[in-house]
Amino acid sequence: MINNADKSYITQKYHDPKKEFNPHRRFIRRDEIFDSTSGMDPDAIIAGIWEQDALCKDLPHPVRKAKAFAYVLKNTRISCDKRDIFPAINMIDRPLNRTVIAAWKKEVFGEIIPEVEKKRAYMLSNGIATIRPDYDHSVPVWERLLNLGFTGLLQESELARSQRTVLTPEQTAFFDGIKITYSAILDFTHRLEQQAKTDGNLRMAEALRHISEQPPESFYEALLVDYLYFMLCEHIEGMQVRSLSNFDRLFYKFYKSDLEKGVSEAQIRSDLAYFFLQFTAIGNYWNQPVYLGGCKEDESTQINALSYLFLDVYDKLRIYSPKIQIKIADSTPKDFVLKALDMIRRGNNSIVLVNDATIRKALEKAGATRSQARLCDIKGCYEYAVQGAIVSEMNYVNLLKPLEYALHRGCDGITGNFAGRKSPDAATYQSFEAFFAEYKKQLGFLIDQVIDTVNAFEDYLSYVNPQSMLSATSAACVSRGKDILAGGAEQNITVMEFGFMADIADSLTMIKKYVFDKKMLTLAQLRDILDGDFEGNERLRRIFLADRDKFGNNKPLPDALAKEIAEFVCGKVWGRPNAKVRNGTWDLGFHVARQSYEQAPHTASSPNGRLRGEELSKNMSASMGMNREGATAAILSVTKIDATAFAGDATLDMGLLPSAVKGEEGLEAMYGLLMTFIKRGGHAMHINVFDADTLRAAQKEPEKYQDLQIRVCGWNVLFNNISKEEQDGFIRQAEALI
Amino acid sequence: MKTALISDIKRFAVHDGPGIRTTVFFKGCPLKCRWCHNPEGISFKPQLAFYENKCIGCGECKKDGFTAQDCLGEARVLYGKETTVEELLPSLLEDKDFYETSGGGVTLSGGECLCQGDFCAELLQALKNEGIHTAVDTCGFVARDALHKVIPYTDIFLYDIKAIDEDVHIKCTGQSNKIILENIRYLDSLGKAIEVRIPYVPEYNADQIEKIAEFLRALKNVQAVKVLPYHNYAGSKYAALDMENTLPKILPTEEEIKKAEALLVRP
Repeated sequence: MINNADKSYITQKYHDPKKEFNPHRRFIRRDEIFDSTSGMDPDAIIAGIWEQDALCKDLPHPVRKAKAFAYVLKNTRISCDKRDIFPAINMIDRPLNRTVIAAWKKEVFGEIIPEVEKKRAYMLSNGIATIRPDYDHSVPVWERLLNLGFTGLLQESELARSQRTVLTPEQTAFFDGIKITYSAILDFTHRLEQQAKTDGNLRMAEALRHISEQPPESFYEALLVDYLYFMLCEHIEGMQVRSLSNFDRLFYKFYKSDLEKGVSEAQIRSDLAYFFLQFTAIGNYWNQPVYLGGCKEDESTQINALSYLFLDVYDKLRIYSPKIQIKIADSTPKDFVLKALDMIRRGNNSIVLVNDATIRKALEKAGATRSQARLCDIKGCYEYAVQGAIVSEMNYVNLLKPLEYALHRGCDGITGNFAGRKSPDAATYQSFEAFFAEYKKQLGFLIDQVIDTVNAFEDYLSYVNPQSMLSATSAACVSRGKDILAGGAEQNITVMEFGFMADIADSLTMIKKYVFDKKMLTLAQLRDILDGDFEGNERLRRIFLADRDKFGNNKPLPDALAKEIAEFVCGKVWGRPNAKVRNGTWDLGFHVARQSYEQAPHTASSPNGRLRGEELSKNMSASMGMNREGATAAILSVTKIDATAFAGDATLDMGLLPSAVKGEEGLEAMYGLLMTFIKRGGHAMHINVFDADTLRAAQKEPEKYQDLQIRVCGWNVLFNNISKEEQDGFIRQAEALI
Repeated sequence: MKTALISDIKRFAVHDGPGIRTTVFFKGCPLKCRWCHNPEGISFKPQLAFYENKCIGCGECKKDGFTAQDCLGEARVLYGKETTVEELLPSLLEDKDFYETSGGGVTLSGGECLCQGDFCAELLQALKNEGIHTAVDTCGFVARDALHKVIPYTDIFLYDIKAIDEDVHIKCTGQSNKIILENIRYLDSLGKAIEVRIPYVPEYNADQIEKIAEFLRALKNVQAVKVLPYHNYAGSKYAALDMENTLPKILPTEEEIKKAEALLVRP
């Protein structure tokens, strides 16, 4: 499939193995592998961008950015080494993000809306909400890109421009941006072709020549288009590409036609292996998502021979990026699902299982047609959207903060600063219902603040970072002559992600039981104990921890509270208008990304026994170490929440013991768990198969467990590469498994 | 209302019969297998175990009226809870969706569940009324009468055979295997579905495998034969229960298990 020399070259293509690798650093590149005659020095390119832009100050941003993009493509060093079938590009350290985009961002947040930035920064530094302009979650309309190619997209945009009798200055800028950008891509593809010839890589040269003139025809050419789009859009244009398409659906025609033309399956496997390794090599911590599966128009399965081949190749490489999401429907063949589950139990836990029916229903509720919903694409760790939609979602709200406010008359539980709404003293609540009502008021107040703040800066998304590459793939943008971030998209959605559902449901459960039902202590006493981080009150903390009424265990009280909170936030957020320029609506989800760690230090200790700063619960899973009733109970709990009520994620992170999934029975049991989750309407599930002993051993002797991977929260990492604190969290989680 | 003494309930049990199951562990067993991995199931009386590694020194256990539930470190565990069918049934039905999807159900195990045969019959009948697949995991050392009571409501018997030679069986378990072998022949003659399970313990019954295979060849309704490799994970339970640890030292090798399976497992 791939020989070791080639594999070694590719995996070192972007990183020097001798230097420490930090997957969280986005601005990386590796200079040494490039011939200096193939382009300019990277620092000179950055200087050149500034010089060129200084001469274009009067031009609109889409044009200025496109010119900067073209400048980078014209001058970056390149390599088409024979050990690889995909070209290497030197300037992948996001040069536009560091130049023009950074300048416009500074202008907007520093000069135009400084008061919004102040609010945003306050929420961030106090762990209230982590919100930022989202240039991280885009998905091109792969179908159009692969059918039309770079040339076709350019022609179509020019045709749309020519058909308009009147063009506004914004529309002219929009079409100019696309023209400059795509012309630059075509020139660049020619340049790569020449380089491939120089480097003696004739197969690559021929394919590059082809895709610079017409849409891709072969499987390899389609991979090249996918790869180049990804590299240029994410690493140079400055918009992350969060999918490689619904791969088996879109690449099957290339695969089939190649086989008919006599290309061997071994060749296709090999090409796919080289393709996968590009993403492994880039090594971004968030991993690169790709969809498999789903349904055809007649609801028969989308799984085909390529889907199986895809899993086979992936399995052999033992990698975790790209990360695979499989849309599971009633028609999905059982043997395919078992194949994926078997990979998961052998440690390929980057595979996520997604409920096709649930995501389609949620999208249809949000206005998608049946067909749009069916053809939706993955656009993040678990998030999904119709093709051509733009969904910004980096708005992570801490569900525990409103609890701090409700306990402290509107003040933060750590800083004491007034940040919520004014409310009565904790001592005055006569019933749990009254206190819960206040919690919801505080939460509603926080939601309003977040919406106001996000709407204010989302008006400027396209001003800061106009999208020529992405917009051109959307038929809606091209026909409207409008940037995808400025309302041009098919759907314009902003998502609010609510974090730590289990922690809040468990905390409220403890308040109801111990303060209002058992009257073991007063709410004011509890508040003071939390303020003291349980110091001197370890016994009480242990009572809270030992109490089995915890979300994720199919217990009526915490589950009912979680459901009520989910319905409350859905009612408060879903369908609200987002930024004027975008002219879309708000939706929501329960994805936490890294916030379990990042907001934790700013979150006061909570009534479920969690100490100040301790890790917070992930996605829709039980709080840390609290899934004591096992896998079935976890599924029953999470599926009480209607995941079709919002087009965001409600993912369950499932831990299973190796002993529970061994043998044929174990595999069938995994299948039974998954299909029950699907039948009950859950959204997505990912599975970590581990036991505490193995994790402890890996912590002690990392050298012996170099390939042990863990799914964190939407992405995978090697266990050795996470902090001791995070490792301890997984060990606690594994210890609780039954 | 009949009552039974239960030591534990395990959900998502995947090796106790077909599909995803909930297993109810009954307390008390007539055998004393040297390798028993559920020592909490041997005594017919409730036992308060103490897992020392979990103790946080909260001192609750020194107070009057202490029960295991009061232990804040969850170090004290009560094995042996008196329960009724009415109390038990709702928790066994919680995972009904999983049983349906996976072809699973409920398994009664132990200890030896059929030592509390009347209760088992009542529980199994209630489960059948709910349309749940039922399995009875038995050592077979039980009165014929107890078997009779549960036969109408049991879909499959998971039946342990440890040895054919009586002296070996006595050495392993403290009891003769005469009744055990008679009972399985009887169940087989009735056409009941049986899955035979053979714990493989190198120090005790390695030489019995061929004999077991021969014995099983005469039976007609054995649907599956499973070899259960002996493991010694139960050591901490013996300590927690303050019981003499009789666990053998030698673990079976993969090769031995494969060899035993080749002799026993039917295609």
